[in-house]
Amino acid sequence: MLESVLFTLGLGLIISIALSFASRIFYVYEDPRIAKVENLLAGANCGGCGYTGCSAAAEAVVKGEAPPNVCILTSKENVDKIAEIMGLEPGTAEPLKSYNDCDGGERATDRFYYEGLNSCKAVAALYGGKRDCPVGCLGFGDCIRACQFDAIKMGKNGFPVIDKEKCVGCGACERACPKPILKVRTMSDRLLHLNDEDDAVAPCAQTCPAEIDIPRYIHHIKEGEYEEAVDTIRERNPLPLACGRVCPHPCESYCRRGIEDEPVAINHLKRFAADYEMNSGKRIPIEKAPDTGKRAAVIGGGPAGLSCAYFLRRAGHQVSIFEAMPKLGGMLRYGIPEYRLPKKVLDWEIDGIVNLGIDYHTNVRLGRDFEFGALIAAGYDAIFFSIGAWSDYQLKIPGEDLNGCYTGINFLSRVGNEEQLDIGKRAAVIGGGNTAIDCTRTLVRMGCEKVYLVYRRTRKEMPANEVEIDAAEEEGIEFIFLAAPNQVMGDDEGRVTGLEYLKMELGEPDASGRRRPVPIEGSETLLDVDMIITAIGQAPSAEFRGKGDRMDDISWSRKNTFEVDPATHQTNVPYIFAAGDAATGPALVVDAIGGGRKAARSMNLFLKGKPVTPQPKAILNKHIQDTIFDSVAGIKQSKRVETPEMPVADRINNFDEVDLVISESDALREAGRCLNCCRYCYNPDYEIQA
Amino acid sequence: MAKTLAQEFSKGLWEELPPFRLVLGLCPTLAVTKSVENGLGMGIATTFVLVCSNLLVSLLRNVIPAKIRIACYIIIIATFVTVVELLMQAYAYPLYLELGIFIPLIVVNCIVLGRAEAFASKNAPVYSVADGLGIGVGFTLSLGALGAVREVLGEGTFYGMQVFGSSFEPFTFMVEAPGAFVCLGLMLCLINLAGNR
Amino acid sequence: MGDIFVLIISCIFINNIVLAQYLGNCPFLGTSKKMETAVGMSMAVIFVLTMAGVITWIVDTYFLVGLGIEFLRTIAFILVIASLVQFVEMFLKKSIPALYAGLGIFLPLITTNCAVMGVCLINVQEEYTFVEALISSIAYAVGFGLALVLFAGLRERINIGRVPKPLQDTSIGLVTAGIISLAFFAFKGMV
Repeated sequence: MLESVLFTLGLGLIISIALSFASRIFYVYEDPRIAKVENLLAGANCGGCGYTGCSAAAEAVVKGEAPPNVCILTSKENVDKIAEIMGLEPGTAEPLKSYNDCDGGERATDRFYYEGLNSCKAVAALYGGKRDCPVGCLGFGDCIRACQFDAIKMGKNGFPVIDKEKCVGCGACERACPKPILKVRTMSDRLLHLNDEDDAVAPCAQTCPAEIDIPRYIHHIKEGEYEEAVDTIRERNPLPLACGRVCPHPCESYCRRGIEDEPVAINHLKRFAADYEMNSGKRIPIEKAPDTGKRAAVIGGGPAGLSCAYFLRRAGHQVSIFEAMPKLGGMLRYGIPEYRLPKKVLDWEIDGIVNLGIDYHTNVRLGRDFEFGALIAAGYDAIFFSIGAWSDYQLKIPGEDLNGCYTGINFLSRVGNEEQLDIGKRAAVIGGGNTAIDCTRTLVRMGCEKVYLVYRRTRKEMPANEVEIDAAEEEGIEFIFLAAPNQVMGDDEGRVTGLEYLKMELGEPDASGRRRPVPIEGSETLLDVDMIITAIGQAPSAEFRGKGDRMDDISWSRKNTFEVDPATHQTNVPYIFAAGDAATGPALVVDAIGGGRKAARSMNLFLKGKPVTPQPKAILNKHIQDTIFDSVAGIKQSKRVETPEMPVADRINNFDEVDLVISESDALREAGRCLNCCRYCYNPDYEIQA
Repeated sequence: MAKTLAQEFSKGLWEELPPFRLVLGLCPTLAVTKSVENGLGMGIATTFVLVCSNLLVSLLRNVIPAKIRIACYIIIIATFVTVVELLMQAYAYPLYLELGIFIPLIVVNCIVLGRAEAFASKNAPVYSVADGLGIGVGFTLSLGALGAVREVLGEGTFYGMQVFGSSFEPFTFMVEAPGAFVCLGLMLCLINLAGNR
Repeated sequence: MGDIFVLIISCIFINNIVLAQYLGNCPFLGTSKKMETAVGMSMAVIFVLTMAGVITWIVDTYFLVGLGIEFLRTIAFILVIASLVQFVEMFLKKSIPALYAGLGIFLPLITTNCAVMGVCLINVQEEYTFVEALISSIAYAVGFGLALVLFAGLRERINIGRVPKPLQDTSIGLVTAGIISLAFFAFKGMV
């Protein structure tokens, strides 16, 4: 009797002492809230929430990865108590939702006739499924059976449709699906997802540097759902008004209709949807994730900076933009003339972005008005550089500093800033890019009587957009091809009186594949002009460097741009990221927007303390080769919508917008031309006889 | 608590009938159901532990600190298991030998701990006893039924009595381990069939 | 040496803890739906069972038998196992976080795993020596792991198949287990 009592007490004592010592020795700091939250969960380890048991779910709640209402069994009061512990309103952690990527469904063709079990998993085990498309929906509805919340239905086109209201984001459908079709993601993860090899993306969307889901927004337009269309564009591009006007739409060159017919006017449709929102007078609300409490600084408020700030803000971070110029917009405002992108439109668009809760400071230049160290001292967790490429290249010919010589971006930005400039009667613009064209067309509008464009190769080699070249021609610009400036002539007062150039002929092709121009001896020709603008390219201006702070550690490329990891946009200093012209050299607006988003993805990872790794399989503006077709069956020829534009006579005297928006009926007709392509399948105009 | 005592009791007989509706406590179910007698004996022993531990846990539910509640439940359960062990040694020694280590293993039967955590720790003693009794009786009946099937088919006897003529060739598979699994699986299927109606 | 070999074979195959001794069925059915989980659980059981077998043998031989209070065996064993699991959990979390990430989530399930308690009881009932107890603990645990992994592999395939509604899940699982058990039954003729 005595022994047994003593033994039990002794054993209990030893165990309790051992365990209490162990809990001290092996103490691992665990947020005390985890235990509190776990006590409020149902304790059944049912797995309905998608975590391995209640303690894992509690940990996720405390980490902010799961909302307080994660537990599907616990009562309303307990949800409120958990929210109280977390200091949150119920449901403030960003909810997970299931999304379906596949638009194919039944229209995708079958590789073989299948008569086995009615289960996606079973058919996937047989040569990866019966459909031709390796990623598309198999259509047997394993996801529907897996969903415990009745949130998925099979749509009439043979792919699952998700009821966002009922979806709790448990992830059962994603696990049930043998293909990468159903993805359970938070809104911010979706926004920051880069298109990858396993996604069901159409060729146009693969080409778009901003990775906009083009077929989806065109489909919305076709259905008259203009607000949804704008929302879809804004998932990838915060500047649809600007892009809809100035984008040279590389997507249209990969439009499948374009193979047999004329490509769909994708950019006009984007502009139509964006203008619809602006003209409707009410802004479509933009959803954003709950605040994370992390702060990021964006240096440079151009398209890349605005895009990065926009996506970081939507992911819940606090963002401050620092802009050297008097207003936000960067090259959109100071590099693109009013007649292509009216300032009023740009202002409206930028207001919408900063209204998300982004604070911004203008007229502050890094290295002049504030130092890099001050940013660190102010507690920014990550810094994004999108300072653009504002420093024009010089021709390095005699007389370049005479009165009447300007450089391209400098000239355009001063015009954009409404400075008074002396405009000559006859002007020569040197260069063949968009900046050069913009300079010529601006000069015409400022009253210049004769404008020449001097380019050392031929029209075929001009890097400017075709439509811009045509418009310049229509406006009376005279092109002088195969001409290399030799020297600028001046008078006694130091004013420009002419430009001497050498005639050229094309020689052997160079590294870029363009034939190299070779000067012809003794072909000096004089052009009688009193104003010269040099627009032969730009590089970032690096005047803030060399001050002995961390900025000097950043590596720069030979082209004088930030050297970044092309997949993550991270520089060699882990908390510094860069994109836009500052990282790529002069490029398209849409490249800058895409770069800003890619950098935002990496910064979001960095700010959340996760490793900044490239997304595996991200296509990064390359194409998924076998989705690019040579021929497309089932196309009926139909005319592409014409760009409505102002007559030349009405436009060359003022800065009114030249290209106009297409009408609603044209937009609906044009949207109807879209084949609504997915990875492999599309809606043909007529049934293809097999 | 909206439910009446009778409801708390009767839910253990169908709605939450172990081990069929609540798939818990499978080890004793499989191991001891070679005969009706063993099955019933095991069921009664488990019922005793279930009722007593439910009662004690329910009485102490406001005293036991939440942090070490599981440890406390285990000690309470272990105590009653020891009591049952000693009682059986004294009054039903042949059955005790037959059931072997499965008597002490009642401690780790998920049903007992599960009811303590899920029901007794939140409800008044009277209801907890009714719950324990209901689940216990359901468990006993299930074991008895499974034991009956296996004994009749495997030995040709029921509760030790011959049921078939001497020409019956016993279906020995049923009393061995594989038979236990298959038999339980098929019974579960039948119960599912009945339950889904 | 021959005895040890026979013991190992008998513990893993002939008297397989799940399929012949009917122990540890709840985790056997519960954690066998996915191969990944099954492997994790097997590892966790091997780890804990080896330690529990040895420690309970020491407690039994030197304290319970020595003091003549064998009737306290149930309480003593469950206390030792439960605290051992808790201890291991804390130890792994601090010292070997990588291992904890793999096995940690299964540890709470082991306290109520009757295979662990069952093997400890078998060890003392069969009056094994220390070495035998150690070997049998490891071998039984390996047997558990083997059965679990085999079963998980089969269940993953069954999930694809068309199973009548009432037979789905646990029901078909048990029938499958019965057939594996039948296969193991053949080992009885070996020794």
